[in-house]
Amino acid sequence: MSQKVTRRQFLNYSLMGVGSFMVAGMVLPMGRFAVDPLFQSDAEGSMIQTSISADDITEEPTQVDFSFIQQDGWYESEVTDFAWVYRDGDEIIALSPVCKHLGCTVSWATDDANPERFYCPCHNGLYEKNGNNVPGTPPTGPLDQYEVGVSDGYLTIGQIFPNELV
Amino acid sequence: MLNRIYDWIDDRMDITPIWRDVADHEVPEHVNPAYHFSAFVYCFGGLTFFIVVIQIISGMFLTMYYVPDIVNAWESVYYLQNEVAAGVIVRGMHHWGASLVVVMIFLHTLRVFFTGAYKAPRELNWVVGVLLFLVILGLAFTGYLLPWDMKALFATRVGLDIAASVPFIGDWIQTLLAGDEEIIGAQTLARFFAIHVFFLPAALFVLMAVHFIMIRRQGIAGPL
Amino acid sequence: MERGKGLTFVGDSRIKKYDKPKLNRDYSEFPGRTEEFYPDFLLKEWITGAVFLIGFLCLTVAHPAPLERVADPTDTGYIPLPDWYFLFLYQILKYTYASGPFNVIGAVVIPGIAVGALLLAPWLDNNKERHWKKRPVAAATMLLACGLIFYTTWESVAYHDWETQDAQGQIVFSNLDTEDPVFDDLIRTNCTSCHGGELTGGSGPNLVTAELSEEAVNSFVTNGSGEMPAFEGQLTEDQIQAISEYVANLEEVPRDDAQNTGDEGE
Repeated sequence: MSQKVTRRQFLNYSLMGVGSFMVAGMVLPMGRFAVDPLFQSDAEGSMIQTSISADDITEEPTQVDFSFIQQDGWYESEVTDFAWVYRDGDEIIALSPVCKHLGCTVSWATDDANPERFYCPCHNGLYEKNGNNVPGTPPTGPLDQYEVGVSDGYLTIGQIFPNELV
Repeated sequence: MLNRIYDWIDDRMDITPIWRDVADHEVPEHVNPAYHFSAFVYCFGGLTFFIVVIQIISGMFLTMYYVPDIVNAWESVYYLQNEVAAGVIVRGMHHWGASLVVVMIFLHTLRVFFTGAYKAPRELNWVVGVLLFLVILGLAFTGYLLPWDMKALFATRVGLDIAASVPFIGDWIQTLLAGDEEIIGAQTLARFFAIHVFFLPAALFVLMAVHFIMIRRQGIAGPL
Repeated sequence: MERGKGLTFVGDSRIKKYDKPKLNRDYSEFPGRTEEFYPDFLLKEWITGAVFLIGFLCLTVAHPAPLERVADPTDTGYIPLPDWYFLFLYQILKYTYASGPFNVIGAVVIPGIAVGALLLAPWLDNNKERHWKKRPVAAATMLLACGLIFYTTWESVAYHDWETQDAQGQIVFSNLDTEDPVFDDLIRTNCTSCHGGELTGGSGPNLVTAELSEEAVNSFVTNGSGEMPAFEGQLTEDQIQAISEYVANLEEVPRDDAQNTGDEGE
């Protein structure tokens, strides 16, 4: 095979080279621009004070609201979220109400057939009191937990993390 | 007068063959509903195109009032529907057209399938058609969020969670679509607007052009 | 212009006859009556389009496009539902072997196979026969797939609680003030999950349009009623009284005076 590069081949390679440069020069900045959300690091959150006294928390899960400043890109807003909070011995447990199936909201004991379980109305998902998903129902994992603490006798709520009770 | 203008342009551009190729192509009897009423099934593709045109035009006009910003989006939709003259019709066209285009493209797909029109030599046009179907579904999904009302937000949350359940790359897909790892908010709406109004329509135009050029090159499939 | 057999080019265009066998530009090979696209056939298409447009415009006028109240991400009692053309996918995710540990099957494998099979249909069904009766496997598969889509969509529609969703989503302009501490501390925690984020109803009734006296609300909250649990013991009498005053005071107001929507953005 001849090593000789014809004039036409040379011009074709040059076209490909310059063309690739032009495509890359345009697409790289735009691509990085578009995928930026993937590289945003999470802001460390601090513990959020709630209005619930730690002594009032019983073994029955109750809904505890908490508000925090949410930064959504350029948009800052005060957001109210809630957790299902109950006492387990000395420990206080706070579970996220977000169903692990498709993100609907679970509630405690609203399904008459399952008075001691969390219930998701979208696809009949069920969770035990400790957040464990009942096998045979749609959810793929247990409910997430919130970091909890007590400050001046009031419950505080922190970061969300995967369930460690099950 | 018009004839002389036409001749003047045609002398310089030779435009006649361009449109005569489309105008003079012969349409066979088996697709003509005037001869066989059951041939109306061959109109589904044309009707799909007609609704897509309605969608494009009504969408262009909707953006004269709509703003993709979570503080004002709902207000702008409420305003254009209730305060602007004919707003209820223009938004109605875009809303109901979105459902109808899915119905019509579904029927068109079934017609092509059951008449076997996707067989050689028309395989590639079928593939382009399926891609068009997916683009239309993408437009439907992204457009549903834009009014920023309750059902829009929560339907999108469910849709994004379905995307997130893809193994390995699901979380990336979700973040790229929503613009944030957890929040469905300002960045999500802006992104969905961009995808709905620029990215997917660009893909739609290219695919539709390819679809139609291929029909002209290959002609319509013969009778069964 | 000559039509029918013997046609070797299209119209008076300067595009020559093709020799490639896969391309049939010569419509004379089809039996029966052909006609030109323009103007003969186009007129028929336009009549079809005009008839369609009449029905379409009637639809837009008779049924204004729905708009629910402004999105409130914190209103977690709202029961979500995708738009109708994604309902079949949503419904599939409900079945035991397409959810839970098998979620990948419902969310990726089944839709992936469906789209893949659709894309590759010309190669999966590659015999020469075109009539659907002569390719029973392909036709039966397509009918089965359509049947499943119709069935799952139907199931999903039949299961969904449309009345509750309508109540939860309707636009009601009221004097409900979400900044009020009574709402923020008591009502949001105890009432909105059933009565809706703006108390316009959910699984429980609408509290804005219901004209309730303070005493009536107080009695409902204290003792419960039907589905509604009694809050005696969970809430103090003062708290119940505050809720009663707040709820009894709720009413619909004109849009300009509404406190529940507008320039909030929360």
